[in-house]
Amino acid sequence: MTSTSRDVAPKEQTRAALLFLLPAFVLIAVFVAYPIVYAGWLSFFQWDGASAPAFVGLDNFLRLATDAIFWKSLGRNLLIAATAIVLQVFLALLIAYCLVRIVPFVSRLFLFFYLVPVMVSEICIGLLWRFLYNPYFGLVNASLKALGLGSLQRGWLGDSATAFPAVVVVMSFTYLGLYVLLFVAAVRNVPETLYETAEIDGAGHFTKFFSITVPMVWDAVRANTLLAIIGSLKTFSLVFVLTNGGPNHASEVVSTYLYKAGFSSFEMGYAATIGFAQMVLTAAGAFIIFRYLKRARGGSER
Amino acid sequence: MSKRAATLAASGPVTRVTPTTIVVLAVLTAHVLMVIFPFVWMGYSTFKTNKEFMRSVWSLPTTFSFDAYIGAWSGGALGTYAMNSLWIMAGATLLTVIVATLAGYALAVYKPRWMAGVELSLMAAMAIPAYVALVPLVVLLRNAGLLDTHLGVILPTAAFNIPVSIFIMRAFFVTLPRELFDAARLDGTGEFGIFRHIAMPIAWPAMFTVAVVNMIWVWNDFLFPVVFINSPARKTLPVGLTDFVGEHITNYPVMLAAILIAAIAPLVLFVFFERQITSALLGGAVKE
Repeated sequence: MTSTSRDVAPKEQTRAALLFLLPAFVLIAVFVAYPIVYAGWLSFFQWDGASAPAFVGLDNFLRLATDAIFWKSLGRNLLIAATAIVLQVFLALLIAYCLVRIVPFVSRLFLFFYLVPVMVSEICIGLLWRFLYNPYFGLVNASLKALGLGSLQRGWLGDSATAFPAVVVVMSFTYLGLYVLLFVAAVRNVPETLYETAEIDGAGHFTKFFSITVPMVWDAVRANTLLAIIGSLKTFSLVFVLTNGGPNHASEVVSTYLYKAGFSSFEMGYAATIGFAQMVLTAAGAFIIFRYLKRARGGSER
Repeated sequence: MSKRAATLAASGPVTRVTPTTIVVLAVLTAHVLMVIFPFVWMGYSTFKTNKEFMRSVWSLPTTFSFDAYIGAWSGGALGTYAMNSLWIMAGATLLTVIVATLAGYALAVYKPRWMAGVELSLMAAMAIPAYVALVPLVVLLRNAGLLDTHLGVILPTAAFNIPVSIFIMRAFFVTLPRELFDAARLDGTGEFGIFRHIAMPIAWPAMFTVAVVNMIWVWNDFLFPVVFINSPARKTLPVGLTDFVGEHITNYPVMLAAILIAAIAPLVLFVFFERQITSALLGGAVKE
């Protein structure tokens, strides 16, 4: 009876499982799940956070539907995701390959350095980059001047044309290390014999990278891409400290827009709507992508 | 082409010095220097006086002055912020580790049919941005009298860090041989006895690992503390730092010393516990 316990969980085991999970369930239910449902409920109210909330039906959603700032902010979150896939995930894979296959003698040291920005608070990193981007004495402008490109000098974070790209650059530097770490582990697991066989056929690093490493670590590529997309939708602190979404919403993302709506303009109902809509749109997007992937995979296999 | 010939000629594995090695090493070194330059610059600039800083912003200091640190620490504000961060870090980490250990154990050891659903819900919870819950959490905390308190930050912070911490703990517990549990069951040990006397005693290193990454995450967290706490006396270091920087806008070395003070704790943890931190990041992020 007990020997089959791994398959048919007896009553006592089920009870134990429930009890072990209970504290996590309570905390997540109260501080994650309930607030999300409550955000949906608050979306139907106009509320300044102090007086009694006034029921306004779908007004918040109608306003959101035609709110250009919201849609542009959401678009920027997606743009951040797209650049993260290239400048964080793909670049990290390339670096991981180099660290493991070409310069293994420095891999541990370099990995350590790449992880430094991952450990430090985004607020500190943002404040440091404000020095680099400083219009008067910033290193970016000084470097341009030294290279004879003085005409390109500008206040990178204060210029609406460059504020968003400038933020994206900081993000790539900040989060890259996490993906380098994850890929180094994956690339190390690729069997050495595969490379040896390829070398006998005269394959160079380019061939080995694309025809051995990339396919062999594809699961990690997928997981890290997902991680990068989720991270890009969550982003807040770096944008907050670098530009706070400015100038004139030029680098606004959903989180900073929500923060301002809720805690600068005190439109709590609308802020809840922004968050709730963002989550529903993300969930819908994820659902469609997964269905599409499933169908595409099923189609190619049969 | 010569690179290909060199690869063919040598037969030993990996470490061969070829032109490729040198080029790659040079490029990666330059890149790594770019990545860590802001931190290095922060470090040496704190030893400058404001005058020297303004004269040459990016060069190495010519004198070693500790005035910036004295200036940053003297107001007392940073010390208060650091203590607040410490309390919140300790509270949220302790709560997360206990709750995630229990749940991670359940997820690894028990396999009733509904466990797959639990796992899926936890993954969904990991994907939810904290700001979605921001406005409702303010209402919830205010009704509970927890707004502008440390506990009001600790509880939601722990709740949002628990799912990933559960997966890190589970990754550890699944490595334990099942025979260990089955043998104890045959001996008549109850489920809680098994957890308490067999699993727990060997789980300390994994729990420590979860604790270290949570300490870093909580220490660096910004969104919840900036929204839930208003009193300057209760603010955390990253939030207080933004205030501090605004007040010391004219003295750059003091500003940089303050940033360094906020950044140093996680860096020290990283230097000492690099192995635990990387294994936690690998265990929590890469799921089969």
